[in-house]
Amino acid sequence: MAVSGALSRRTHVRRKAPRTFLRRLFRRQKPRLRLETGGDLLVHLNCLLFVHRLAEESRMNAFENKDGIIKKEHVQAAAKVILKKSRG
Amino acid sequence: MADTYNSDSEPTTRTLLRRVLDTADTRTPRRRRSARLSVQKARLEMPLSSPTKMNVSRRSQRARSIDRLARVQTSGHLDEQTPRTLLKNILLTAPESSIMMPESVVKPVPTPQVVQSSRRKSSQGSLELQLPELEPPTTLALGLLAPGRKKQRLRLSAFQQGVDQGLPLSQEPHGNANASSLTSSLNLTFATPLQPQSVQRPGLARRPPTRRAVDVGAFLQDLRDTSLVSPGDSLRTPVATVPMDTVLEDTQPFSQPLVGRSPSVYHSLPCLSHTEAEDAERAVSHRTQSSGPKLQNYNPGKQAQLLARKAKNVDALAMSFPNKSSAISGEDGVDLLQDGIDEEAEERMEEKLSVSEVMDTTGTQGSVRTENSKGYREMTEAVETNEPKGSSEDEDISDRRASPELASNTTQSPQARRPQFLEPAPPSSTAVLSSEPLSTRFPPRARAPGSRPRQDPHKTGLSHYVKFFSFCAKMPMEKKAVEMVEKCLDRYFQHLCDDLEAFAAHAGRKTVRPEDLELLMRRQGLVNDQVSLHVLVERHLPLEYRQLLIPCAFSGNSVFPAQ
Repeated sequence: MAVSGALSRRTHVRRKAPRTFLRRLFRRQKPRLRLETGGDLLVHLNCLLFVHRLAEESRMNAFENKDGIIKKEHVQAAAKVILKKSRG
Repeated sequence: MADTYNSDSEPTTRTLLRRVLDTADTRTPRRRRSARLSVQKARLEMPLSSPTKMNVSRRSQRARSIDRLARVQTSGHLDEQTPRTLLKNILLTAPESSIMMPESVVKPVPTPQVVQSSRRKSSQGSLELQLPELEPPTTLALGLLAPGRKKQRLRLSAFQQGVDQGLPLSQEPHGNANASSLTSSLNLTFATPLQPQSVQRPGLARRPPTRRAVDVGAFLQDLRDTSLVSPGDSLRTPVATVPMDTVLEDTQPFSQPLVGRSPSVYHSLPCLSHTEAEDAERAVSHRTQSSGPKLQNYNPGKQAQLLARKAKNVDALAMSFPNKSSAISGEDGVDLLQDGIDEEAEERMEEKLSVSEVMDTTGTQGSVRTENSKGYREMTEAVETNEPKGSSEDEDISDRRASPELASNTTQSPQARRPQFLEPAPPSSTAVLSSEPLSTRFPPRARAPGSRPRQDPHKTGLSHYVKFFSFCAKMPMEKKAVEMVEKCLDRYFQHLCDDLEAFAAHAGRKTVRPEDLELLMRRQGLVNDQVSLHVLVERHLPLEYRQLLIPCAFSGNSVFPAQ
C-alpha cells in the first residue's frame, strides 16, 4: 500500500491497518463480543488519532523541557493526560 | 418551374401528383431533366386524363406508376442509375404482376410524347383501355397475393411514398452495386433480409421494419459490404473478454489477498508461523473448507508452490493445532511456534515422527533463545537432511525465506544449514536486545523458548502504531519511551474494548457496530458537531478503507456499503 513519499525509506509509515491484529486483540479482550467488518477500521482510526494526540502531547512536553529527544517521562506525562481524555 | 405552374391550371389528380413529383424531383439536380420531361408529359397527358374520370386512389396509383414509368423511360435507360430510379424500377417491375401488365401497356404511352394528336388519341384510348384492364388485374392481384405478399405490397407502397416524398435515397453513397443488390434482395422477398438482421441483432428483430424500408436497404448494404463475420466477432470478443476478466477477478481475491495479505501485513512479524498462526485462526473459521481440499490436492502433489505452501501451512496449522499441541512438550510460545513449524514441515515432508524427533532435539538444543524463524529454518533443514529432497526443498526454503520479510536470514542461512542447531545460539543472543524494538526487518535472533513472550505478535502488531507515533513526534525517541508508548497503547486498547462492550450492552447487542465506535469517538471529543466521523475517515484513512466505511451511491440504484 501507499507509503508516505516524503519520508526516507527507513521511516516507513504503512497506511495499512493491521486488521487481523486488531480483531485478535478484541477477541482476546472480550471473547464474548463480536466486531463488525467496518468496526475494526474505525478502531484503527481511533488508534491512529490516539497515537497522534499522544505524540503531539509528548512532543510538546519534550519541547517544554527543551529536550531534543523524547524521553520516557515526557511520554508518561502525556499518556496520563491523553488517556484521561480518551476515557469516553 | 413555370411549366409546372402552367400545368396547374387544370387541377386534375394527375397533375397534382405530377406537381408533387416534380417538386420532389427538383431537389436533386439530376431531376431537372426528368422534371422537365415529366412536366412535358403532364402537359401532354393532361388532355388525356381529363376526360377519364377515375377513382382518385387508383388514378393516383396509376398516375404514380405511370409517372414512375415515364420517368423511368425518360431517365431509365440512361446513364444515371441512381438508386432511386433503380428502386423504382424494381418496385414497379417486381412481384406485382399488376404493374407488370400496365408496364407493358403503359410503355407505349409515354413514348409517343412527340407524336401528335392522333397518337394522343390512341394513347388515350390505350390509357382508357389500360385503366379498366388495370383495375381488374390489380384486384386480382390483390386477391391472389398472399398476406406476406400483401405486406410486401404495403411496404412497397410505403416505400413508394417515401420515394415520392423524396426520401434521401440519393444520400446512399453506394453505387450500382447497392442498387443491384437492393434489387436482388427486394426481388427475392423481404423475409430473407430480415433474417440476418434478426440474427445479427436480435434486439432489432421485433422492430417493425416497415417504417424504415430505406434503412433496411442500407443495412443490407452494410451487411453485404462488410463481412458478416466482423460484427459477429466484435460481439463475441467483448463477451469473451468479460468472463475472462471476471474469472481473473474471481481468482485474485481468493488466492492473493488471502495469502499476500499475511506476509505483507505481518511482514513485521518475526516468524512466518506466527502469521500462519493468525491465519490459522482465521482459517479455522473461513478457509478450512476451501483450502482443505486444496490441501489434500497439494499434499500428494508437488510442494513447490508458494501458494500451496501457504495454504497448506495455514491448513496444517488450523487442522493440527489441537492435534499437535499436546504432542510436543514445552512452553506455550514455543508450542505455538514449534507447532507451526511442525505442521509446515509435516505437510511438506509428510513425516511426523522425524519432525517430532527433530523438534525434541531442537527443543533441547535450542538453549538460550532460538528465534522462531531460525528454528523454523532449522526444522526445515533438519527435515531436509532427514529426507533430502534436493533442490525443490531448497527452493522452497529459499522462497520461504525470501517471502517472509526475513531478508537478513538469507545471510545466515548457509551457516545454519548443516551444523544446524548450535550456531544460531551465540550470535542471536547479542542481536536480540537491539532488535527487539525493531520489528520489521528482523536480524536473525535466537530467543529462549521459555522467555519468548506471548506478546511477540502483540508487540509486532503494536509496532505499527509505535512507528506511527515516532512519525508523528518527528523527534528521536529513547528506547524506554518506545516501551512506554507500547504500554500506553495496551492500556488504551483495554479501555477501548471496555467502552465498546459497555456501549454494545447498552444497545442490547452482542456485536460491536460502527455506531458504537462513533459514539466512542464522540465521547472522546474527536467527533463534534463540526467534525463528523466521515471527515475523520477521509482525513486519516486511505482510499480503500474510506470506500468501505463511507456509504457511497453507485449505479444501478445501489449503495455500498449497504446500510
